[in-house]
Amino acid sequence: MAIARPALHEGTRPRGVYTRHDIHGDTVLDADVVVVGSGAGGSTIAAELAEAGFEVVVVEEGSYYQTRDFTADTSAMVRQLYRDGGATMALGTPPILYQEGRAVGGSTVINGGMSWRTPDKVLQRWEREAGLAGITRDLDEYFTRVEKRIHVAPMDPDVIGNDNHLLKKGADAKGWNIIGNLRNQNHCAGSNRCAFGCPTGAKQSALVSYVPRALHYGTRIYADVRVDAITRHGKRATGVIGTVRGTSHRITVRAKLVVSACGAIHTPALLARSGFKSPSGYLGRNLSMHPNVKVVAIFDESVANWKGAHQAFQVREFQDQGLVFAAVGMPPSVLAMSFPHRGQQLGTLMDQYDHMLLAGMLCEDTATGRVRTIDGKPQAFYQLAEADAANLKRGVSLLSELLFAAGAKRILLPFHGAPDLYGPDDARRLLDQHIPAKGWEVVTVHMMGTARMGNDRTRDVTDGFGLVHDADRLMVADASLFPTPIGVNPMETIMALATRNAGFVIDNAKRFLS
Amino acid sequence: MSYRHSATGRAVLRSLVPVICPREAFDLADAIVDHMALTLGASPSLLQKGFAAGLLTYDLGALPRYLCRARALHGDKAERYYASWEHGPTPLHTQFARAINQLMSLSCYEMPQMMERVGYRPAPFIAEVTQRRLTVYRDDVRKQEAQILAPDPLRPNVRIGKRMRAS
Repeated sequence: MAIARPALHEGTRPRGVYTRHDIHGDTVLDADVVVVGSGAGGSTIAAELAEAGFEVVVVEEGSYYQTRDFTADTSAMVRQLYRDGGATMALGTPPILYQEGRAVGGSTVINGGMSWRTPDKVLQRWEREAGLAGITRDLDEYFTRVEKRIHVAPMDPDVIGNDNHLLKKGADAKGWNIIGNLRNQNHCAGSNRCAFGCPTGAKQSALVSYVPRALHYGTRIYADVRVDAITRHGKRATGVIGTVRGTSHRITVRAKLVVSACGAIHTPALLARSGFKSPSGYLGRNLSMHPNVKVVAIFDESVANWKGAHQAFQVREFQDQGLVFAAVGMPPSVLAMSFPHRGQQLGTLMDQYDHMLLAGMLCEDTATGRVRTIDGKPQAFYQLAEADAANLKRGVSLLSELLFAAGAKRILLPFHGAPDLYGPDDARRLLDQHIPAKGWEVVTVHMMGTARMGNDRTRDVTDGFGLVHDADRLMVADASLFPTPIGVNPMETIMALATRNAGFVIDNAKRFLS
Repeated sequence: MSYRHSATGRAVLRSLVPVICPREAFDLADAIVDHMALTLGASPSLLQKGFAAGLLTYDLGALPRYLCRARALHGDKAERYYASWEHGPTPLHTQFARAINQLMSLSCYEMPQMMERVGYRPAPFIAEVTQRRLTVYRDDVRKQEAQILAPDPLRPNVRIGKRMRAS
């Protein structure tokens, strides 16, 4: 029998936050701007517009939690903060498990907090290929603004854990470029719980930065409301209509501008089920995922991967080749879940948990997938490209070499049925092995590109400020906008683009308020 | 969303605890199976239905070979039957066996006794580092909280008022 647990968000809430407990019937609201989603894009644009004097309503499907609600109960956090309990899957070979936050603050509540500007080479590509002239220069001031707001800073050295020290030791031994990660944190305490809601309040997720700012300037946030559709009059978006989760109560928001900021999976689905069909045919297409794989290295010494700052370093030696490495601490339950072992084999392996280092790798992908809207719901399809699979294999080999250089004695690989590695020669031999695509265990948290921006209406879904081509008063402000994958963690890029979009709305306020 | 194991599902999962979990967890079988229901409760409904159907199929699938349902198998027989799915005749068998393994392993190591066994004690550690941060960096913490709310308009010369809205 399932054990009932109380909802975590019950308690005092700041003014302006409404949850399902506050909504007792059908409700109609009026606003200048309605924003769907409260993550990196939604909370940022809401805060900027609210401060400029716009009346803003944010509608968020997830619940409202506060820092004190984030506990050491890993699976409770996953159930409450992750869409579908973290069990969403892009179909393909191999299927790719992807994770999205579903809470006020969106995925910023559960991400690692890596805060990197879009690389110049990527922005220059956007200028060339998407016709976004000047965006490299334009974004500079917005990055600076975002970094101040979410307190992007290097880590305090005293909270860097042994897993990250070992990663650095290995990179230094190989002579590879490794840098301290910039993260949105204010004296990170090193609890290594970033992925389950920061329990110390140090991570400056949208929940503790842009959301309070938006509320301070008058934004109203309706949590626990799933937006069913954007309402429209011809090509003009006129608001949204949604349902309060767990009830049949309807919420209608009438607004002069609708901003979709519910991520690269849900934005195209929302637009599609609302009848906005991009004439480019690219709505939902161009899905990039930054495929991630991980290896587990076992050391003789204690690693205690769960103590210390999450991903304090990044190995950038192979960034030009689309590969970035980091150490990511995880609770034993999550690691146990990822092993194919069972029974006493699992027990023997897990008894070495204290000696395990989990290292992950981000791959800048060349393949693109698609989000289809089936019965109103999004389903992602993504086929790992052969070139990307080869790059992942090379990355696993290199990362394993690094970990052996750091002193690892054994490495477990992210392929089904793969033998463990016991030395750098084993790691190098990996390159000669054929690993079928179906054998890979791939996950991701970076979904991008499904409503890409650009000036060509025949291939782009929105213009350079996120306004949907061939629609009126409809804007996108999330990672859907990226014309290409960016090769680094996307949060800061999303926030900078959302700030830039907000600037465009403020500069053209009369147009949007008429 | 909530999910309850059927009687069959519960019995099958209960019988699989000795197959998938280490022996230290055998006494926690009921709690592990309860925990799996919580995890499934947060997952998509299609997955819940598929899992429930899979458990029923798994249970009945033992009949031709063992003349009893899977839930009644013990020891080597339970082990061999699970292995026959793990390396199963179709990808569906393999995927389902893997799904059970993943869910049960997750729940197994969410048990406080198992976390303690591997030396994972996050709650006191979180309390300790939180307190330290608030003590050592109190001023910086307050400064950032103030910065978050301080006026800093994106377009300093523009303020959208009722007049503009009305126009």
